[in-house]
Amino acid sequence: MTQVIAGLVFYLFLMLPPVVELLESIMIIHMHMQMPLLVVAGFLMAPLFQKKFPSFFAKYNMNGIPGILLFMIIMFFWNIPRAMDEALTIPLVEIFKFISLPFLAGVPLRDSWNKLTTKWKNGTLLMFLIVYTGTGILYIASPVQLCNNYLVKEQITLGWGFITVAAAILIYLIQLFFVNPSDYE
Amino acid sequence: MALAEKIKDKANQAMGLNEEDARISKSYFTVSFIALLFGGVFGLLQGLNRAGLLELPSWYDYYQVLTSHGLLLVLVFTSFFAIGYFYAGMSHTLGGLIPKVRKMVWIGFGMKLVGFVFSAVPIVMGEASVMYTFYPPLQASPWFYIGLVLIVLGVWMAAFGAFIQVANWRKNHKGQHLPILSFFATGVFVLLFFGSIPVAIEVFMIIPWAFGWVETINVMLSRTLFWAFGHTLVNIWYLTALSAWYVIVPKVIGGRRFSDTLTRVVIILLVILNIPGGFHHQIVDPGITESVKYLHVFMSLAIGFPSLMTAYAMFSVFERTGRAKGAKGLFGFFKKLPWGDARFLAPMIAMIAFIPAGAGGIVQTTNQLNQVVHNSLWVVGHFHLTLGMTVALTFFGVSYWLVPYISKRVLTPAMNKFGVITTILWTIGMSLMSISMHLVGLLGSPRRTSYSTYGDNATALGWDPYLIFLGIGGTILIIAVIMQVYAVFHLMFRAPKGEEEFPIGEVEDKASKTPFWTERWSRTILIMLVVVAMGYVIPLVDFIGYAPPGSPPFQLW
Repeated sequence: MTQVIAGLVFYLFLMLPPVVELLESIMIIHMHMQMPLLVVAGFLMAPLFQKKFPSFFAKYNMNGIPGILLFMIIMFFWNIPRAMDEALTIPLVEIFKFISLPFLAGVPLRDSWNKLTTKWKNGTLLMFLIVYTGTGILYIASPVQLCNNYLVKEQITLGWGFITVAAAILIYLIQLFFVNPSDYE
Repeated sequence: MALAEKIKDKANQAMGLNEEDARISKSYFTVSFIALLFGGVFGLLQGLNRAGLLELPSWYDYYQVLTSHGLLLVLVFTSFFAIGYFYAGMSHTLGGLIPKVRKMVWIGFGMKLVGFVFSAVPIVMGEASVMYTFYPPLQASPWFYIGLVLIVLGVWMAAFGAFIQVANWRKNHKGQHLPILSFFATGVFVLLFFGSIPVAIEVFMIIPWAFGWVETINVMLSRTLFWAFGHTLVNIWYLTALSAWYVIVPKVIGGRRFSDTLTRVVIILLVILNIPGGFHHQIVDPGITESVKYLHVFMSLAIGFPSLMTAYAMFSVFERTGRAKGAKGLFGFFKKLPWGDARFLAPMIAMIAFIPAGAGGIVQTTNQLNQVVHNSLWVVGHFHLTLGMTVALTFFGVSYWLVPYISKRVLTPAMNKFGVITTILWTIGMSLMSISMHLVGLLGSPRRTSYSTYGDNATALGWDPYLIFLGIGGTILIIAVIMQVYAVFHLMFRAPKGEEEFPIGEVEDKASKTPFWTERWSRTILIMLVVVAMGYVIPLVDFIGYAPPGSPPFQLW
């Protein structure tokens, strides 16, 4: 229950206007900090929903795959430049961001992760590796402004942010070839 | 297999110390405390110079002394001590080092010594007065940097040795939790390895520039790479001190360890959050927007969170132990603590010192407050309180039982008393020095400069009464340094033979089970890498992508 309260407080903190303004004023912070933090807030609040609706999660997310697919759809949707742009200009889209990331990405991620098989877990990471590399190249190489609200300079920084996260995931996946966790657990 | 392991463990416990492993720790401690002696002498010379009492000769000027002092104490004393300590800990808790690991740590020892000689010679020759922070545009002889490369490679050998040792133990103890002291060692070596990658990149940028093969260098980029390492390094020594507080101190005072889960979470948090924290050293640097700096303040303050958890945990242990011994009232438990035991007194004062030290750190991390104290003697006061008190005193406390343990000797009551006096002298000396540094820093006295009255300027003359205390503190400290070095070598070679205890605290009887996710280091490292990437991507892209023409070398001496 402590986690749920912490998640809720964190969620409310992220909603404070000065916090929103600061985080959204820098392109990469908007995408790689505000959005993941909203997912974290949802992740922390998840036990509340899992306890309230156990049969719902048991029925619709039996093996964790529907949940992780929903998580990925939401995450990848918010990687689209236009989605981020509209969050800044259309209030309804901003509200959708604040609802979708915690409740449609954070909550299903928590419910799914432990249900998934190792293959699916690593597959998810692989998917993020591919998408982040691709998006990273797009943001770095694009000769034009992709978002009306951010400069090309910031766009390039964001691109490198994608590439560095992808590199971290790649290092993790590579070590899986050499280190077999079942040798140790 | 399981039975064979059990027999091996039992045999290890029965036979006690492994002689070959003990030799590793003894060698590391020998170098460490010789470095303390020389570093201490250089410190005294500096203190006396800043107090206006001593003019340093032109053949070994203030900046050479400053560089030597920093290099010996921040790099050699601490790193050799930490490696010797953790290897003794791993040997003890993981049933002896495997031969391959032993060989690796010896190679690391050699590389670091050779590297140190490479770095020291240019300093002595007056070709490397760049201070231990050594970032451009100040330029030293290329051999100084080549020495640093060897030191880093030596540290990596020790780190990989530790990883192999831990992996080997875990393979033979499937599903078990790594013993807590070795868990600390793993955290420290993970940070040492990943934290030194940026500085390795920096040094490889500097070497061609130092040889003159390239004319200019990107100053901001190298500063950023340096501080990603520099701040991590000081936190590595802090994490080393933490291991003694969480694991050793409870046993010494006759109590139990605080929650095992919390201890491991603190280590994991420190590993994840540390490296980007270094950016607060650049909080008044140009080229980065206010908002990014502001966000970095959060990143740095996050490191304070596990420290608060530690403060709570430690005082909780003291209270519980005191009450179990019959303490009454709100603070009665303080009286039940073994104040006369050097193994307790030194780390306890270290912990108390960390309260103002941590608060001072928060001041420096905060954008606006940093502008008041930046590059003043306040900063020097701060790291003499953190490294000079918190870390050094904890290391001394450890030496009073670990050195006799690995030397198969005992800490006699007389030597214990000697240790208590050393601790008190050190505390007085360092407090005088660091408090006056903090105060005079607030009045504007700069750091990294030799004594000057700035043409008898009234403000500069107003610093003198405080600066005198630097000299007094330094003089008391050198007495404590000599006593401490004597104590270590006495305990290593002269103390009566016998068996000293390796005090490792146990968890409470009714302790809850530690969750197994704490053992998943690859996941911790993945999160750490993502956090590092997020912390540094903005400054690095800006400094590389929109770099100024670059700086030629400067040699101001």
